[in-house]
Amino acid sequence: MPPHPPSPVASSAISAFVDPRRIEALLAPWLPDLGERSFVVRCLIGEGPAHHRGANFVLLSLLGEVALRCGATGPSAAESSVNVPMRLPPHLAARADDSNFPLRLPTAALDRLAPAGSREQSAMIDCLTDGPPQHALANVAMVTLLSAILRRLEDGPK
Amino acid sequence: MSPALPAGLEQAFRFAVGELGMCSAAWLFTREVAGAGGDEAVGELRDRVGRAFPVLDAITSQWLSGTRAATVDPAPALAACAGASRVLIVGIESAFLDAFVPALGEARVALVKRSVFQVDWDRVLANYHPRLELVDLDSFQAWSGSKSVLLTFVYGLTAGGATHVLPSWMRVYGDDVRTQFRSMIGWDVLRAPMYVYPRWLVETPAGGFTHLV
Repeated sequence: MPPHPPSPVASSAISAFVDPRRIEALLAPWLPDLGERSFVVRCLIGEGPAHHRGANFVLLSLLGEVALRCGATGPSAAESSVNVPMRLPPHLAARADDSNFPLRLPTAALDRLAPAGSREQSAMIDCLTDGPPQHALANVAMVTLLSAILRRLEDGPK
Repeated sequence: MSPALPAGLEQAFRFAVGELGMCSAAWLFTREVAGAGGDEAVGELRDRVGRAFPVLDAITSQWLSGTRAATVDPAPALAACAGASRVLIVGIESAFLDAFVPALGEARVALVKRSVFQVDWDRVLANYHPRLELVDLDSFQAWSGSKSVLLTFVYGLTAGGATHVLPSWMRVYGDDVRTQFRSMIGWDVLRAPMYVYPRWLVETPAGGFTHLV
């Protein structure tokens, strides 16, 4: 079997294009506290494998472009959402009084896929928020942007 | 033997570093020795005890170069903690904690009960009562959260972008913990590279901290 060809992308270039400021600006309407916003952005593009950092940056940036072009600006005050828990050791999770990430998962967009409160929607939420924080928070950030985009599209032209 | 340096000095210093921290104890001992025997005595302190305690070696060297006190400025560390409701400290440096802990405002503050040296934790706690709490290694993650920060003391920066930390930091700090605390703050209390082998310390990339102050 021929050897696996080396990647054309140098290791140093894998995430060299990642710019935290772009993602911070994107999430600012949902995370007005600078410390919390920096924390979430670090988890998204500053932690975990390099290729995931780069992929998160690209996907969120593109969604941000869509949101910008359709005028989706930020959260809705009435929008339902759920906590995104940190995966602490089970015996400590109950003792911690701040064991959720500051970015919540909006669930209104999921109502299009399964009724609110249903087992199906609960399973969707579980899938979106499970796994390493890099993945979970990327899922939540994408649903957040998608939710804002869908809401804006439904509101129609202004 | 200089009359300013009694027998058992290394033993006394080893006892002091547990409750004061290497940097704080080093400055204390250096000042006292200098007061008794001047720079000559400080040089002997360095020769006798510095090899076993690299932070003391670095500080006596600083003294012999003219530096007469540690830079204890909690402002950058406090700024890095701004907005935090919980501050979890790994390691003891009493001179720095004395300035830092009282200035933390409403934030809860705790110390991870772990040290490479022998420590009377009740006595350490009493020094900051009732402001400081103690947390075990098994349960420190109960202090995690988006408004929680981890802080430890670092000992100088190397030319290669690394720094040195206490082993207890390596027990606390892992890839899982990095995403459970808002910030990881390294407070450089030595501000100079060490000359001899950094015994008691572990090298770690400086870039692992969100704030290096």
